[in-house]
Amino acid sequence: MRSTSDRVGRAMDLTSIRARHALPLTVLAAVAALASCDKTITVPSASLPPIAAASVDANAGTWKMLVLTAPDQVVVPDPTATSSTAYQAELTTLKAAQAIMTDAQRAAVQYWTGAGVLRWNEIERELVARYNLPPAPSADGSYPLPDAENPFGDPNFPFANPPYASRAYSYVSVAQYEALKAAWFYKYKFNRPAPSKTDPAVTTVIPASTLPSYPSEDAVLSGVTAEMLKLLFPAAVDEITRKAYEQRQAAILSGRATASDVAAGLALGKAVAALVITRARADGMGAAAGNGTMWKSLADAATARGEIAWLSQETPKRPPMLMNFGTVKAWTMTPAEVTSLEPGPPPSTSSPEMRKDLAEVKQTTDHLSRDQLAIALKWNDGAGTATPPGHWNAIASTYVREARMSEVRAARVYAMLNMAMHDVAVGCWDTKMKYFNPRPAQLDPSIKTMIGLPNFPSYPSGHSTFSGAAATVLGQIFPQGAADFDAMADEAGISRLYGGIHYRSDIVNGKAHGKRIGTWVLNYLSTDGAN
Amino acid sequence: MSLLARALSLTPLLAGVVAVPRTAHAQTLEDAELLRPRELNATVMYGHDAWNKYWEGSLKRDNGNIGTVTTSSITSTVAYGVNGNLTLFASLPYVSTEASQGVLRGMSGRQDFTLMAKYRVFNPLIAGRARLKVLAVGAAGVPTSDYTPDFLPMSIGLHSKSLTARAAAHLQDRTGWFFDGFAERMWRSNVTLDRSSYYTDGQWIESNEVAMPDVAEYRGTLGWQRGAWCVPVGFTFQRTLGGGDIRRQDMPFVSNRMNFTAAHAEVMYFLPGLSGLRLDLGAAHVLSGRNVGQSTTIMTGLTYAFHL
Repeated sequence: MRSTSDRVGRAMDLTSIRARHALPLTVLAAVAALASCDKTITVPSASLPPIAAASVDANAGTWKMLVLTAPDQVVVPDPTATSSTAYQAELTTLKAAQAIMTDAQRAAVQYWTGAGVLRWNEIERELVARYNLPPAPSADGSYPLPDAENPFGDPNFPFANPPYASRAYSYVSVAQYEALKAAWFYKYKFNRPAPSKTDPAVTTVIPASTLPSYPSEDAVLSGVTAEMLKLLFPAAVDEITRKAYEQRQAAILSGRATASDVAAGLALGKAVAALVITRARADGMGAAAGNGTMWKSLADAATARGEIAWLSQETPKRPPMLMNFGTVKAWTMTPAEVTSLEPGPPPSTSSPEMRKDLAEVKQTTDHLSRDQLAIALKWNDGAGTATPPGHWNAIASTYVREARMSEVRAARVYAMLNMAMHDVAVGCWDTKMKYFNPRPAQLDPSIKTMIGLPNFPSYPSGHSTFSGAAATVLGQIFPQGAADFDAMADEAGISRLYGGIHYRSDIVNGKAHGKRIGTWVLNYLSTDGAN
Repeated sequence: MSLLARALSLTPLLAGVVAVPRTAHAQTLEDAELLRPRELNATVMYGHDAWNKYWEGSLKRDNGNIGTVTTSSITSTVAYGVNGNLTLFASLPYVSTEASQGVLRGMSGRQDFTLMAKYRVFNPLIAGRARLKVLAVGAAGVPTSDYTPDFLPMSIGLHSKSLTARAAAHLQDRTGWFFDGFAERMWRSNVTLDRSSYYTDGQWIESNEVAMPDVAEYRGTLGWQRGAWCVPVGFTFQRTLGGGDIRRQDMPFVSNRMNFTAAHAEVMYFLPGLSGLRLDLGAAHVLSGRNVGQSTTIMTGLTYAFHL
């Protein structure tokens, strides 16, 4: 009997122990489950497949040049014949390299093939985001200027803010577009077939098209883009150079180009970049930061008109961002034309309209819904991001990729988009400084913002102006997306009201200004031969 | 003892930071104390945390555009002794933030709900005079509102789900001296932002999803308990196991590597004549950190204990 009851007792103990352990064990199991889960972030574009262009755009060598005087302004030497010993030796080297490709090389081939313009645009967005940080104040309350001759210093050079970024995107895109049109000119002048067309033993990742391979468009892109990016983001020279080399290697390993195709392309790309850089060095960017005298005169002029002048809301007070950017050379407009497209003045700071606008900002931010906050954050595009122009480049990329464009046609899309957004930045900054209008938080200090407050005058909204132009340009190129682009432009605009940093009049007039510039740029390029 | 001690381990976080906090899970959960079977504790705690200096990566600085960032929290906690070896806790803070300078809007809202189970693994008597308690602790945290983690330092939290495993020990001498220590690891789920791209840790990522590094925390407390009084004093170390630094003059980001070392002290007093009512008062100060504010935290709590 005694032993039986002992056994029963023990059994009961075991039961209760199990019950007592149940919860901790459940928690531990859940911990183990979470610990083992994969946190890898999937970036959609990283693993997208090579692009086989829907059309080779054989006549792109005849499209209108924008900076170069003619497609053959840079001379490309005649290629050797495909029957020559030298060319045959290149094929042998190419096939030998293909035979021992590493996994990293295979990945590079997948990454670059047919998508050079798209990839460089992604890389540039990353560079803009990396360098889009304002200088920190010095101990004496002043702000050091980024110095192109000391790009690794504190602050880094550049501060890739929206005007700087719009100009950077446009220079890279225009230079790529010019270089590729020149490349197309020579491709069809020399008509050297792709390596796999001359030697079936050369393997390809996408079927070879009829596009001639000399000079290599991939090498042209590597040369022209690297030179432009090194000018614009000098502290990133290391990776820019590596990426460019990787693209040229991928051109050969993908079976699209031989060594001489690449050498000619690289030389052409660099020579075109040099011509575009000559323009860049004389476009007025060097004086865009302005100075204390200009700052004071802008404020004094607003006061003299009887308006409340913009005041920096930062501590210590920071000069308005690139206050002289409005004098930087536009791509498609003379200074008089820039002025002719600008909106009229904002409502006077003492007017009932401005009081109404201000009250709307106060009311909206005090009762912001979670959906409105999401829109403010979605379009924030502030410090540390690719900026609003970068955001629109990312939007365009989806459409460019889906359209399976040739490299030269893809370059044209970005050139049109980014010339328009650069010209917007010029016109918008000129207007901002002309009116020097205060932000909502200056007129009503009880207005607090849901995003960082940009340190420059309010009118008109840069987001709205960029977006109006981008939606107009992209809407014509991709009519199937026109309604979406316009809705995005509206959302980008209103996001600034939700964020508490713009009045409705900034947004409405900004978008209309942007649409005028977008239409202007479309007209400017309507007879370029590409349509 | 010590809702407060536990709370303090979290508050530097909670307040902390340039980045606010991870979940307030540690609220009430740091010590080795278990409730008696079928004992129920209800606690309300108020926390006030402020900093005017923070570490931008490893660079300590101030910032005229935020001045002093203050985080206030009211945390409600219920604890229940299932039996002598197992106590469950449920905790939910309401958090609000404010900056003394600049234009950034403070935020407020319900933060993260934490459920914790504390289990006593063994409880031997050492050398006939000191009692050693060894505990296994598990916790789960989940956000209870859709606050954004993408507006640091004004965001009220990081909006990550979390699971925590902790090993804890408590050694108490019969004269009243005691030592508490624990090591824990928190696993955190990825976070979703309202934007489609972000730059952090040297990478531009075109996705709205952010990988959240896990967090390790260590704590050591020395204390004395006699009669109605209990006074623990100690250090807490938090190390985030990955993540990038705040870059020069950048905003903080949800997945930053937020580290700190904090000292904390606490006084608990069981109110005489009111059986079951306990008053806690505590303070913590961050001594060194990385991507966090140098916060000073004051916590005060009231606990009522009763039997079901």
